[in-house]
Amino acid sequence: MAENTTASRSAYTADGIEILFFNIGEISYGIEIKYVNEIINIEQITIVPKIPDYIKGVINIRGKVVPIISVRNRFGMEEIPYDDRTCIIVLQFDDGDQVGIIVDRVQEVLIAKPGDISKAPDSKNVNANRYIKSIIEIEGDIKLLLDCDKLITD
Amino acid sequence: MADMYVFETTSLLEQLDQILMKTENESSFAEEDINEIFRTMHTIKGSSAMMGLENMSKLAHAIEDMFYIIREDHPVITSMETLYDIIFSASDLLKAEIENLQEDEYTPTDFTEQMNKIEDFAAVLKGAPPASGEAAAPAEAAPAAPAAETAGAAAPAPAAAPAQPVSASGLTTVKVFFEDDCKMENLRALLVINRISESCAELEYIPEDIENNGDTAQTIIKDGFLVKFRPAQGASTDSIMETIRTTANVKNCEVIERGSEAAAGAPSGNVTTVRVHFDDDCKMENLRALLVVNNVRDVCEDVTFEPADIEDNADTSKIIVEEGFVVRFKSDKPQMVLQVIEGTPSVKSYVVEEAPAPAAPAAAPAAAPAPAAAPAAPAQAAAPEKKAEAPKPAAKKAEAPKPAAESAPAAAAAKGGVKQSLISVNLNKLDVLLDLVGEIVITEAMVTSNPDLKGLRLDNFQKSARQLRKLNSELQDAVMSMRMVPISGAFNKMTRIVRDMKVKLGKDVELIFEGEETEVDKSIIDQLNDPLMHMVRNSMDHGIEENVEDRIAAGKSPKGKITLSAYNASGEVIIVIADDGQGIDPEKVLAKAERNGILTKPASEYSEKEILNMIMLPGFSTNEQVTEYSGRGVGMDVVKKNIEKIGGSVSVDSKFGQGSSFIIKIPLSLSIVDGMEISVGSSIFTIPINSIRQSFKVQPNQLVKDTTGKEMIMVYGECYPLIRLYQLYDLNPNTEDVFDGIVILVETDGKSACIFADELIGEQQVVLKPFPSLLGNYNIKQYGMSGCSILGDGSITIIIDVSKIISDF
Repeated sequence: MAENTTASRSAYTADGIEILFFNIGEISYGIEIKYVNEIINIEQITIVPKIPDYIKGVINIRGKVVPIISVRNRFGMEEIPYDDRTCIIVLQFDDGDQVGIIVDRVQEVLIAKPGDISKAPDSKNVNANRYIKSIIEIEGDIKLLLDCDKLITD
Repeated sequence: MADMYVFETTSLLEQLDQILMKTENESSFAEEDINEIFRTMHTIKGSSAMMGLENMSKLAHAIEDMFYIIREDHPVITSMETLYDIIFSASDLLKAEIENLQEDEYTPTDFTEQMNKIEDFAAVLKGAPPASGEAAAPAEAAPAAPAAETAGAAAPAPAAAPAQPVSASGLTTVKVFFEDDCKMENLRALLVINRISESCAELEYIPEDIENNGDTAQTIIKDGFLVKFRPAQGASTDSIMETIRTTANVKNCEVIERGSEAAAGAPSGNVTTVRVHFDDDCKMENLRALLVVNNVRDVCEDVTFEPADIEDNADTSKIIVEEGFVVRFKSDKPQMVLQVIEGTPSVKSYVVEEAPAPAAPAAAPAAAPAPAAAPAAPAQAAAPEKKAEAPKPAAKKAEAPKPAAESAPAAAAAKGGVKQSLISVNLNKLDVLLDLVGEIVITEAMVTSNPDLKGLRLDNFQKSARQLRKLNSELQDAVMSMRMVPISGAFNKMTRIVRDMKVKLGKDVELIFEGEETEVDKSIIDQLNDPLMHMVRNSMDHGIEENVEDRIAAGKSPKGKITLSAYNASGEVIIVIADDGQGIDPEKVLAKAERNGILTKPASEYSEKEILNMIMLPGFSTNEQVTEYSGRGVGMDVVKKNIEKIGGSVSVDSKFGQGSSFIIKIPLSLSIVDGMEISVGSSIFTIPINSIRQSFKVQPNQLVKDTTGKEMIMVYGECYPLIRLYQLYDLNPNTEDVFDGIVILVETDGKSACIFADELIGEQQVVLKPFPSLLGNYNIKQYGMSGCSILGDGSITIIIDVSKIISDF
């Protein structure tokens, strides 16, 4: 299951940006593949006291202690029990920090051409927390590209 | 490269400080100490020059020169204090420069002032300063100089030179090196001679037979080509130097002996030594000598002479006839004095044996060349000579190279004689190694307690696993021991601080070390320097009484005492900084704390221990006056913070009137912790074993409740607060029943508490890992979690900071 994509870190191919799409409920979100280190099955998460609710705790990934964020909780959605499609997408940031995000299920990797991408509206009410980086219209569907940095910082 | 240089030079300077401190205490220089200082400065000079840090190289050179004089001449050092001040401040300057070097924007500092000080002092040491001639030879010329002088001994002394108005005119000696591999150095040297011959009134060179002897090329490559000249009318030393410098293939040329005109510019206060000879058969040389002395006394001060008893002892005239009459004087204008000597009736000739070192740094460093080396024969210093005077000095010259030649190989042998058995390793590499060992420890547990093996009978596997465990623990010990360094390094730095403050504050204090061989992890020692320094300063400034009378009145020895001690205790290193000063007045502390509004309960409820520890609260300083060293109120709380950062703790103990001590407890090593695993619900916590006193099941009669229902546990007649971890951390425990779970009695810093958990899992060494930075943002350390670690089965445990939990509960 571990679908290691570290080999293809470059986000831009000749055609556009590679984006990994996943589902939270019925909505499809995407993250740029350059952030994605691996996808693993949900496993036992060690609770760390006195941290915000959306951080579920830490797991051990090959000797590294990696904090895990629930995207549902982060988006203020109701949390559902984990099933066999629940995954942790392990993101790696430029400074080497790894953070895992829990998603309902992983869909596919698609290439978004520059023409498919439009900016998220700049408004005080819509997308106020700026988690959404841009809107993508691909194969007739509308999907949301998330801003990974915003996702892990307050 | 630069790293290496910084590392080496820093440790050399530390070494230097140590030697100085030692010798200052003994107030004498042993031969080997002098040699060591000399070598140290020599190395710094060399490596600085290699790094292109000319200012540092020159300063080191000046010190080296001074110690050269001390080593060779054994002068009576009249002012040890000045000597130490000069070297200490020079060493400080060098250290500061090293710091600067590590900054992004580095501009070399100008050390001229310090160098002048050193040279002045060196001149004083010498009695008379080194003949200005030698003064210029930089050290790399040092080994070459003896050889050159040996050759020079054969050279005839300058004969009756036309008297120049400058008088005492000497020859300027220049050493010329040619470009590497330019071939035929001897002919190139000849070219130099041809070019400058017109502008020189006198010209000599070594080797002499360059024109005919091709072998001299080798000598020139090795020792350089020595040119001695006196500028002719209309030419100057500088113009001749320029000519030499611009000659084809000349790599560099330097003045190693400057003619008399340089001596004229000598700084005031330097001593010039002149040997005077009188006309043959003029009789009564002793009285003539007295006349010279009187004439000289008219124009300058500090005149001394040899033989000393010329006035009363007619026999001295014989000595004067044979040896000449030696006059030493101090003057701003030695030239004028020399003219006075020259003008005295019956004076046939005189020789300036030692002229003051010129002030210009370029010409100044008296570099250890051979002639100055032989204390027995001051005359041989290849000094400017006048008139037809030379047989004797020239003869003596021949002896000169000998002692120098001996000392040079001796030094070389000393350097190369020690077999190198130490290497320096970048700390980062050791960190990586330690991390790896940590991983291995975890992985080993993962393998041997793998769930797949459950229920299987694996005799051979178990045997191998035991072997693996044994090797792993040896590996771990080896890696840890590699990182361990004795604490003496940190202690020794304090000697210096005490010394400086002693002088500044006028307090007589002795610093005593105990257990300085105790070893601590390198990364901890690095963090320990600042806190130690702060505390020693505090003890010096606030601890030791201002007035000696107060000490005597209190029945103490007039000399204050600060003791730094270190020892191991239960996996921790305990460092105590104790002074026998006035101690801390708890009432004053309490009053001050009240004024500063840092009390959290009524003043009467504070115990003495609590009051004393208040001095480590932010914004507290009992000293009314801010001094250079302490009293800004940012002292002890910063110390406390720094120590806590490395997982340690500080406490204060003081008896008013008798002294105070600060006790620092630090872990032996930062990263591997012997821990007891306990579980609370699904979470596993680790409590460091060294803070556990015992664990037990609570009996109903041990449980006590206070008026508000808070629980306490009675153990051995003492009551301790009960901390329920699941409450503290909002967890779902398997049991909330105190009698069902387990209670662990923990203690740090003299405070104890009972921690309640579900059950004990077992003891295991864990490798402390910091929390991921995402969690670090939430400051979870303040809730008593110092880090996390991965257990053998791959699960993660949170390591509890017991002192934090106790103090916050």
